[in-house]
Amino acid sequence: MDEISKQPTIERPPVGDVSQYPEQSAEEPIVIANEFADVVIRKVETRNGMRLDIWSPRRGSRILLDAVALDCLTFQEPELISELLERRPAP
Amino acid sequence: MNTKPESQSLAAWVEETREGIDSGRFPARAFNDQAVYDLEQERLFSKTWCFLAHESEIPHPGDYVTRYIGNNNLIVARDEHGEIYANLNMCRHRGNVMCKAEMGNASHFRCSYHGWTYKNSGELVGVPYMKEGYEGRLKRKDWGLVRVRVDSYEGLVFGCLDPEAPPLDEYLGGFQFYLDLYLKHGLGGVEVHGPPDHWIADTDWKICTENFAGDGYHTPVAHQWGFHLGYFPSSGSTHSQGWAVSIPGKGHGIGLGHGPNFPPFGGFPDDLVAEMKQSLSPEQVEVFSRTRTAVGSVFPNLSFLMQPFSLEPGEIGVRFVTMRLYHPVGPGRMEMYSWCLVPKNASQEYKKEAYRAYTLAFGQAGTFEQDDFENWTKVTQAAGMTMVRDVDFPYIMGMDSAPDPEFPGPGHAVVPYVNDTNFRNLWSRWADYLAGEA
Ligand code: FES
Ligand SMILES: [Fe+2]
Repeated sequence: MDEISKQPTIERPPVGDVSQYPEQSAEEPIVIANEFADVVIRKVETRNGMRLDIWSPRRGSRILLDAVALDCLTFQEPELISELLERRPAP
Repeated sequence: MNTKPESQSLAAWVEETREGIDSGRFPARAFNDQAVYDLEQERLFSKTWCFLAHESEIPHPGDYVTRYIGNNNLIVARDEHGEIYANLNMCRHRGNVMCKAEMGNASHFRCSYHGWTYKNSGELVGVPYMKEGYEGRLKRKDWGLVRVRVDSYEGLVFGCLDPEAPPLDEYLGGFQFYLDLYLKHGLGGVEVHGPPDHWIADTDWKICTENFAGDGYHTPVAHQWGFHLGYFPSSGSTHSQGWAVSIPGKGHGIGLGHGPNFPPFGGFPDDLVAEMKQSLSPEQVEVFSRTRTAVGSVFPNLSFLMQPFSLEPGEIGVRFVTMRLYHPVGPGRMEMYSWCLVPKNASQEYKKEAYRAYTLAFGQAGTFEQDDFENWTKVTQAAGMTMVRDVDFPYIMGMDSAPDPEFPGPGHAVVPYVNDTNFRNLWSRWADYLAGEA
């Protein structure tokens, strides 16, 4: 494996602590945290559908995943996450 | 010769101690001395199999706890594929502590200093500025967390710092027969009831190991309130009855106390007893059914106790199991870890009752625990006095007892329960390690 080729291909722009995405949701956000990281998760409605919003307040980054993206995560190996962390574990 | 005079005299002291044990003497100094403590770290805890965690403390992928072997802090984690690993809790970059929480769940550990990130099994995966900073010189596979060997028996996960040490099965050497009395409570085995209580005590770890290797002798005195008020179903006149069993050459020992009127499997719910009769061998059933109290130590510092405790004076009460680990943190000082084990298949009601009995008797506020630590702390203080350096204690009970030929289990079983045989075996194993001859 090429040790130095593991670089981020895309970096998500920082979103700070204000979300531009529609956030009207009946449900309370879910916080998933351990001693290494914490994220805030909520379901967001778009005009024509819905996405899962994962927000990292410490990092100030966010990703919005639709059903196809989430479905595809369900059949990945845990090693995929390790690979993603190879690219940019921090900051 | 570069040998320091102090180390020469320590070696001579260990040799004298070994000889003394054979004639039933053991030095008080062993229980509170810096040089002995240092030698234990170097020669004992770096070679023995040491208890890390019960599997039920880390049941799911990503679950971890931090524990110790000697002065080494370890992360014991179940990885994303369900395998259990133990790694030194130290980042390989500049040595920061990886997991600061004592327990948690994480797929990856990320260092709070420069951000190196590891899989929960210990492999290094993420290095910030890998390309810019290391210019291809750093090979991730060379810089994983420092791994420690693990092995398990019936849910007990042990670790060993010595790659050459014999496997756990051989180390336990037949003591599994007795461990089953605590662990095979029904077909589902046991689980921990919550995280361990733990606290620092000015007590030497060895005093606890010895006490739990079968010191039935102290019970009618140190815990006399339990006898007198009827919370503990034994009586002063019969308390010496039972077996003391040791595994020669291994250091493990157990006391199996009998009560003449104590019913077989008393204090357990009937459905659980029916299951236990299936999960245990006929020989184990024979031993177990006659046992009121089982108090045993796995060398060097893990112990178990099963006994009944009654909330209503005069009743049999409920049986509970506690598991304890004595983590040495200095000469005459330790961190006590105390768990309650409950049968996985038992009703919630019984689990609650057993836990209640456990907390009344053991854990830092437990009545028996306080009786014991009051004595153990005083013993430790005394052992540190200057005049005590040359004082021995007698270990001569049962010096000439022949093993009970009727006893159905492995090891060396003698009667009565009130006996020093297990302790002589314990100390001679301890001294073998200190002499570098284990
Ligand atoms: S000490 Fe852990 S990344 Fe530097
Ligand atoms: Fe006691």
